[in-house]
Amino acid sequence: MTNEFGFTTLPQAPEGVTSTLNRGMVETLSAFEPAWLRERRFRAWEVYESLPLPTTRLEEWRYTDLRKKLDLGALAWPAKTQCADDWEACPEALRRAMEEDDPSAGRIWGVDGQIVHVDLEPRLQEKGVVFTSLREAVQRFPRLLEEHLATQALPPERGKFEALNAALWTDGVFLYVPRGVDLELPVRVTRWVAQAGVAFFSRTLIIAEAGSRISFMDEILSHDLEAQTLVSRAVEILAREGSQVHYVGLQRLGKGAFFQASQRTLAQRDATLDTLNIGLGATTTRVDLNASLLGPGASSEMLGLYFGEGDQHFDHNTSQDHLAPHTTSDLLYKGALDGRSRAVFRGIIRVHPGAQKTDAYQKNRNLLLSPEARADSLPNLEIQADDVKCSHGASVGNLDAEARFYLMSRGLDREQAERLVVLGFLGEVLARMPLGSLGQKVTRVIEEKLKKV
Amino acid sequence: MGEWVRVAALEDCPPGSLRSVMVGSVPVVLCNVDGALYAVEDRCSHEELPLSDGELEGPILVCQYHGARFDVTSGAPRGLPAVRPIRTFAVEIRDDGIYIQGT
Amino acid sequence: MPQNETIQSLGLDEYKYHFVDDTKYLFRTEPGLSEEVVRQISAQKGEPEWMLQFRLKALEIYRSKPMPKWGGDLSGLEAVLDQIYYYVRPQEKMGHSWDEVPENIKRTFERLGIPEAEQKILAGVGAQYESEMVYHSLKKEWEEQGVIFESIEDGLRKYPDLFRKYFGTVVPPHDNKFAALNSAVWSGGSFVYIPKGVELKTPLQAYFRVNMERMGQFERTLIIADEGSRAHYIEGCTAPVYSTESFHSGVIEIIVHRNAHFRYTTIQNWSTNMYNLVTQRALVHENAHMEWLDGNLGSKLTMKYPSCYLVGEGAHGEILSIAYAGDGQHQDTGGKIIHAAPRTTSSIVSKSISKGTGRASYRGLLKVHKGATQARANVECDALLINETSRTDTYPYIEIEERDANVGHEATVSKVGDEQLFYLMSRGLSEDEAMALIVRGFIEPIAKELPLEYAVELNRLIELEMEGSVG
Ligand code: FES
Repeated sequence: MTNEFGFTTLPQAPEGVTSTLNRGMVETLSAFEPAWLRERRFRAWEVYESLPLPTTRLEEWRYTDLRKKLDLGALAWPAKTQCADDWEACPEALRRAMEEDDPSAGRIWGVDGQIVHVDLEPRLQEKGVVFTSLREAVQRFPRLLEEHLATQALPPERGKFEALNAALWTDGVFLYVPRGVDLELPVRVTRWVAQAGVAFFSRTLIIAEAGSRISFMDEILSHDLEAQTLVSRAVEILAREGSQVHYVGLQRLGKGAFFQASQRTLAQRDATLDTLNIGLGATTTRVDLNASLLGPGASSEMLGLYFGEGDQHFDHNTSQDHLAPHTTSDLLYKGALDGRSRAVFRGIIRVHPGAQKTDAYQKNRNLLLSPEARADSLPNLEIQADDVKCSHGASVGNLDAEARFYLMSRGLDREQAERLVVLGFLGEVLARMPLGSLGQKVTRVIEEKLKKV
Repeated sequence: MGEWVRVAALEDCPPGSLRSVMVGSVPVVLCNVDGALYAVEDRCSHEELPLSDGELEGPILVCQYHGARFDVTSGAPRGLPAVRPIRTFAVEIRDDGIYIQGT
Repeated sequence: MPQNETIQSLGLDEYKYHFVDDTKYLFRTEPGLSEEVVRQISAQKGEPEWMLQFRLKALEIYRSKPMPKWGGDLSGLEAVLDQIYYYVRPQEKMGHSWDEVPENIKRTFERLGIPEAEQKILAGVGAQYESEMVYHSLKKEWEEQGVIFESIEDGLRKYPDLFRKYFGTVVPPHDNKFAALNSAVWSGGSFVYIPKGVELKTPLQAYFRVNMERMGQFERTLIIADEGSRAHYIEGCTAPVYSTESFHSGVIEIIVHRNAHFRYTTIQNWSTNMYNLVTQRALVHENAHMEWLDGNLGSKLTMKYPSCYLVGEGAHGEILSIAYAGDGQHQDTGGKIIHAAPRTTSSIVSKSISKGTGRASYRGLLKVHKGATQARANVECDALLINETSRTDTYPYIEIEERDANVGHEATVSKVGDEQLFYLMSRGLSEDEAMALIVRGFIEPIAKELPLEYAVELNRLIELEMEGSVG
C-alpha cells in the first residue's frame, strides 16, 4: 500500500525516540560541552537508537513488561529548577531527610536532576579529594573524565537504558579519592524530585585510588508523583588496588516513579567493593548491577533490600563476574512484599575460565505478606573453573507463624509481632554494612510502610 | 456491573471463528461456537500470551503458543499447560451488532 | 572405517555397544521429513483418520515453531533432521514369547547385556527395537489384573477410546518444537494402563536401542495410572556408536489419578553423537504421587526436563536427576514442578558431574499458583567439577504467587577436595579409584533409588569414566 506521499510504508522513528528523547535533545545538552563529550553523547545516542526496546521475550526482561510499565512518549523534559543553594530554600522533605543523617565528610544535594549544593571538608580538599558535580568535573578534570566516564564500567553498548543515560545525563556526581586517603566519614548525596511527568538522567562516577577508603551514601526521594516520571541513574565505581569502597543507594521515590538504575563496580587486585541497594519507593524499580572482580584478592559484598506494597514492582538483575583467581563475591537480596506488589530477582554468578579459588555466593529471600503479592527468583550459576566454592539459594515464604506466636506469647499484639518479624528478616541485610543513622532511617521508613498496610 | 460496549458487527465473527476486540482497555477474544457467541479475556493463563492467535475446536479454544485448552463457555482450563481459568465476559447480540459487557 | 576411530576415542569397555546389526529393514520412508512421509507412517500403521489428522496438524505446528535458542547448541541439528529416516520398520510381527524373538535380535540383546539386566527380574518385557516394538510379552498375572502394557501402536488399535481420551492431553503438540515433531512422526513406545487399585510389585520395563545410522527415534509413551494404583516403569537405553549425528526425540505422557503412586525411571546412555530432546510430563491428581528418576549419562546434547503438574489437592511430585557430562557432552537437564492446588508438595534433587570439557546445566521451574495454599517445595542442586575445563550452570526459575507457600532452592558447586583424595590414597587406593569412590558417594542419594542392576551399571560406568581423570 502506498500513501499520499508515495511511501510504501511510513518512515518510523526508531523505538524509544520521542518528542522528548531525541537527537535534538543531545544537541541541546552538548552545545557548550567539550568535543570529546559531545562525541560521546552522540555515539551513545546512536547505540540507543540502534537497540530495540527490551521486551519480555528477552530473558533479562521476562517479568517486567516495559510496554506496560513505561510510556517513553509521555515523558517531558524537566523545567529548570529554581532552587537556590541555600539550606532554607531546600524543599522541606529534602531537608528533613538530610537532618536525619549522621555527620558527613562531604555533602551534595540536588533538586530535579540538578546539583544545587556541594561541600567537602577542607582537610580532604587539601589531600586532593574531589567531590563535585559532574558538570563541574567535566570542566576541571577533562582528562580523568574523558578516560572514565561511560567507558570502562558502563559504556552505552551495555544496553538501551545505559545508552540513553550516557546520551542524555544532565548532571551527576564525581568523587575522586587519591592514593591512600581515608575519608573517615561518609560522603552523602541527597536528591529530591519534585516535577512529575518528566525524565531525569543522572550519573555518578567514583574513582578510588590504591589504598583509599570510601563510604558513599546516595539517597533519592520524592512525594507521590501524579504522572509517570522516569528517574534514571547510572553509577560507575572503579576501585583500584587495595582500596575499600562502600556504596549505599537508598531509593524512596513516590508513586508514579519509574526508577531505572544501572550500576557497575570494577574491583582491582585486593580491592573491596561493597554495595547495598535499598528500594522502598517508586511504582517500578529496575536495577541492573554488575560486579566485576578483575584482580586477585578482589572482593564484593552485594546487598539488597526492598519492601513493596500497593502495586509496586521491583526487578533486580544482578551479575557477579569473576575474572581473576582468588576473588570473592557474596550477594544477599531480601525483600518483603505486601499488597499486590511483586519482586523479581534475577542473578547470575559467572566464574570465567581460569578464575580458580573463587568463592561466590548468592542468596535471594522473599517474604510474602499478602495473598496478592508475588515473587519470582532466578538465581543462576555459570561455572567454568573447577577449583571454586559457589552456592546459591532462593526462598519464598510467609511470616513464620511460630515466631509470631512466640512474640505474641510475650504480650505483643499480632501487628507488633508481625512488624518485629519483618524487621528482623530485613534487618539481616542492614546489619551487614556499617550504616550509622541510615540504618535507623530505613527501619523507620519500613515501619511507616508496615503501619500503613 | 460494567457498561455494554459494541465490539463488532455480527458478520465479523462467523461460526467457528475468533475475533480479537477491545472492551475499554481490556483485550477480549470473541468466539463463535456454532452460532453462539462467547467472550473471554485475550490472555492465556499459562504465559499471558494472546489467545486470539489460537484456534477454536468446538467450544475449546486452543492456545497457539503451548497448546493450552480452555472451554470458552466457562473459561475453565481443559488441557495442559493451563491450570487456571481465564476470565469470561457476557455477550449479547443486538440489532446493530455484538455487545460485550465490561467489568 | 570411521567406526574404529570412534572406538579408540572412547573407553575400552564401551566398545561392546559398538556394532551395527544386519537386521533386514522391511520398510522405511525416504530420508527427510514431508507430509508424504507422515502419511506413509500413518498408513503403514493402519491408523484411524483422526490420528492422521493429528499428525498432519502437528507437522504444521512443527514447521511454524522456530528452533529453540536457549539450552544447548542446536546449530548442527537442522542438517541432521534433513537426513534422518523418520520411520523404519524392521519386523512385521510382534514376538509374544522369548522363543518367538528372532535369533539376530536376541544376539543383539545379549551383546547389550540385557539378559542379566532384565531377564532375571522380568518375565514381561516391552522391548523396542528400531522404531517399533518387536518383542513384547506380558506377565500373566498382570493380564489377569487387567493391566495393559502394549506397544503404543497396539494400544491405539486395541483400546481406541481409552487411548484417544488421553493421548496428547498432557503434552500437546504445540508445547514445543520437538513435541510437535514427535507428534507428527511418532513410532514405537509403550501404552500402559494400570486399573484402579492394582499394585504392581515388579517394575514394567522397556528396553530399546537405535541401530541404524542416521536414524531418528520418536518414541511415544502414554501411561494411565488409575485411582489408587501403584507401579514403577523403567526405561533404559544404550545406543551403538555412529560416525554421524543421531537424533532422538521422545514424548512421555503420564496421568496419575487420585491416590495413585507412579514412578518412572529412565537411564539414558546414548552414544555421544546423539541429540536427545525429550518431553516428559505427568498430570498428578488428588493425593497422587509422581516420581521421575532421570539419569542422563550419554548423548552429545540432552535437553530434558521431566515435569509434574500437581493439579489435585495433596498431590506430590518428585524429581531425582543425575547427569554426567564427559568430554564434549552437554547435559541440559532439570525439572519442572507446577503447584496448582492446595497442600501440594514437591522436591527436586539434582546431582551433576562435569568432566573434561563436559558441561552440565540444571534448568528448572518451580511455580506456585495463587490458591495453591500450604504448598511446600524444595530444590537441591549439587554440581561436582572434575577438571579445570569442566563447566556447570544452574538456571532455576522460581515463580511464587501464593503467600501461604514455602519454597526453597539451594545449589552448590564443588570440586573434589584434594584432602579427600589424599586421604583415600593414603589408604591404598589409586588416584582413579579414589576419584571414582568420591563421585559414587556424591551420587549415592539418587543411585540408591535405582533398581540394583542399574545401580551396578552406573557404578561401573563411573569407574570407567574416572580412569585417567586426575592429572
Ligand atoms: S501461553 Fe498459552 S499455552 Fe502457553
